[in-house]
Amino acid sequence: MHLTLRLLSNRHPSFIARTVFVKNGDVDSACRLVNRVLGKEGILQQYRLTRYYEKPFQTRRRINHEKCKSIYNEDMERKIQFVLRKNRHEPFPGCY
Amino acid sequence: MFCAIRNTLRVPLANVLRLFNTTSPQATEKFDHKRIPADDEGVQGEKIVDLDSVLKQKQNIFPTLNSDDQLFDGVPFKKVPICNIRVSHNNTVFTLTDANGKVKLIRSCGIEGFKNTKKGTNIAAQTTAVSIATKAIDKGFKTIRVRMKGLGPGRLAAVKGLQMGGLDIISVTDNTPVSWNPPRARKARRL
Repeated sequence: MHLTLRLLSNRHPSFIARTVFVKNGDVDSACRLVNRVLGKEGILQQYRLTRYYEKPFQTRRRINHEKCKSIYNEDMERKIQFVLRKNRHEPFPGCY
Repeated sequence: MFCAIRNTLRVPLANVLRLFNTTSPQATEKFDHKRIPADDEGVQGEKIVDLDSVLKQKQNIFPTLNSDDQLFDGVPFKKVPICNIRVSHNNTVFTLTDANGKVKLIRSCGIEGFKNTKKGTNIAAQTTAVSIATKAIDKGFKTIRVRMKGLGPGRLAAVKGLQMGGLDIISVTDNTPVSWNPPRARKARRL
C-alpha cells in the first residue's frame, strides 16, 4: 500500500531500489555491492550502449559476435567439465 | 624420367617460394585500440563481488518497506539529509540537500580549483568530497545518505572522500538515469 502510493507520486522513487545500507562504516564494500547489483541487472551495460548511437550494422555485428561467443563458451564449459570429471572408469586413460 | 618429373615440379615450387619471399613488408604498425587503458568508471566490483555470499549472510543491507522509519541517530531514514553526487567523465558535482531536496551546499571539482581535465580525476573528486564534508559538519550535518548519478572516475572516490571528511554515511544509492527505449543518442565518437 505504502509502496503503491510512493509509486503513484513518483515512478522511480529513490532509496528503495539500488540502495545498500552501509554496515560498520564500510563504505567501500557497500559501493562495490551497488556496482555489482547494477552490473548484474544489466543497467550499466544498457547505460554504456545508449551513450552513443549504435548504427544497425554495429548492432548486427555485436549480436552475432555475442551468439558465437555464447555457443563457444557453452561448448568449452562442457568440455572442461568432461575433462575434469572425477569418477572415471579408468583413472588414467592411455597410460599403462 | 625422375629428372623430368623434378623439372615439372620445380617450376611451380619455385613460383610458390618466390611468392613467399618477395612479398613486400606490409605496414604492420596499425593503431591498436586495445593498448589504451580502459576508462576508470568507478564501477569497481562490477563483475567480481560474489552476490550470493552477501545475500546468504542475511544482514539487512537492502531497504525494505519499513526502512523509511528506521532510526539512524534518532532520525528516521526518510528525514536524513541527502548528498547527491553527479559524476561524469569530466567533472564531479556534490550537492548537499535536506530530506525534501532543498539545496544547502554545492561544491564541484571545478569550484575547488581543479581545471580542465584535472576535474575528471578521482583525486579531484576525493579532495572536493573532503572539503564539502568539513563544510557540512560546520553547518551541522552529521549523518547523510548518498545518492550518486552517472559513471566516472570520481564515483568511488567521492563516497570515500565524504567518509574521510568525517560524515557518517548510512546508505549508498545509485540513481543513474537509464532508459530501455531512449531517444536517439548522439553519434559515436571516432578515435
